Amino acid sequence: MKSFQYLAPIPSFEYVAPRSLTELFAAFESHGKEFQIMAGGTDLMIALKERIATPKVVVDLGRLRKELGGISVEGGVLRIGALATFSQIESSAFVEKYAGALRQSAANVGTLQIRSIATLGGNLATASPAADSAPPLIALRAAVTLLSGSGQRTLPVQAIFTGPKRNGLRPGEIISSVEIPADVGVRSAWTRAAVRNENALSVVSVAVASTIQDGRFGPSRVALGAVAPTPILAEKASVAMTGSPATREQADKVAAFAAEDSRPISDIRATAHYRKHLVRVLTRRLILQILSEANAP
Amino acid sequence: MLNGVSKTDEIEPNQTLCDYLHDLAGTTSVKKGCDTGECGACTVLLDDMPVTSCLVLAPQIDGRDVVTAEGLGKKSAPHPIQREFVEQDAVQCGYCIPGMIVTLSWIFEHAPGASDAEIRRLMSGNLCRCTGYLQQVEALKSARKRT
Repeated sequence: MKSFQYLAPIPSFEYVAPRSLTELFAAFESHGKEFQIMAGGTDLMIALKERIATPKVVVDLGRLRKELGGISVEGGVLRIGALATFSQIESSAFVEKYAGALRQSAANVGTLQIRSIATLGGNLATASPAADSAPPLIALRAAVTLLSGSGQRTLPVQAIFTGPKRNGLRPGEIISSVEIPADVGVRSAWTRAAVRNENALSVVSVAVASTIQDGRFGPSRVALGAVAPTPILAEKASVAMTGSPATREQADKVAAFAAEDSRPISDIRATAHYRKHLVRVLTRRLILQILSEANAP
Repeated sequence: MLNGVSKTDEIEPNQTLCDYLHDLAGTTSVKKGCDTGECGACTVLLDDMPVTSCLVLAPQIDGRDVVTAEGLGKKSAPHPIQREFVEQDAVQCGYCIPGMIVTLSWIFEHAPGASDAEIRRLMSGNLCRCTGYLQQVEALKSARKRT
């Protein structure tokens, strides 16, 4: 039985908790390639217990909440610190106002106990194809700021996901924040299918972000999770939606394109065929939701 | 701080907060169930947020505030949730109860307007293998009525 191995203690390691970014990058420098970064720790703790990760050194970012946390809006940009927890994201008025889809997905991550410690930066760095936060961030055109001892750079959020559980960070680099254009005109929504409502990996997740003006969709993006090696932008669907009539018929067409854009596999949670079906159903549902909210008085 | 009292201990980095609290700090209400963050038996408040202590490394709590079920109330002065768990018979084998009480005390304090559906969503990280969740939800609602 798998669970018995958890009774054995986690193999020992050195624990480092830098108190400044300077200390952090110095710690990276002095430990070469032997360290593992810890943000909230909800993924890493499981990896340590299952011996998937056997680091010599764990570098905990937990003392850097001031530098790497917080949620703010400034200069037309919603900035979410990498160490912001899903509980903080779920209850942020800024996120609700400018990134509705992200708020919805944050409220669905794990359980209350997980959301209390799991962080947005950690969710991205783990780079699961089913990462709950990814489709909303892709749909909302999020950028990710990366920090290292030698400077910073900014990547579109998709570039963080380079393969299943593979991220685009360079050695010695951390995610410092995520930036989303703060535009009240953008409506966004997220939904997913999972085996149960709570504490389950998504079988399919979908996010849509769009504007509606004069009966037409403005710049629109449909993003999908758990239907490809990484979360993806559904390109054909996004193109088909942008500039098209904001109607139920168009929702059907865009949803069909989204299903075409997906490249799912069959696994223990669902068959590829069923996942494609779900992409279509969930995409259509979200677009209809955005339409009905836009038409509401 | 553990249950309002400042505490200093030498701990191994590879020790979980759950093991530290149960085995070394003497707060035996903290139960190890799944040890993978699924069951909620080890739930404690960390800086006033419910967390599964099996997913926290003991050294991570340096300088932070931890409250276990012991810290919520005493036999002579129980927390409203603890009192109502007794009143509503919201206990069977008892293993999940300290974690349940910690989570429900947080919902009681921080989500006073939560609907039944919202209460159930918030307590979905606490599993009971004996009986169910009806009495625990009733305990929360009854605690709300009496305060």
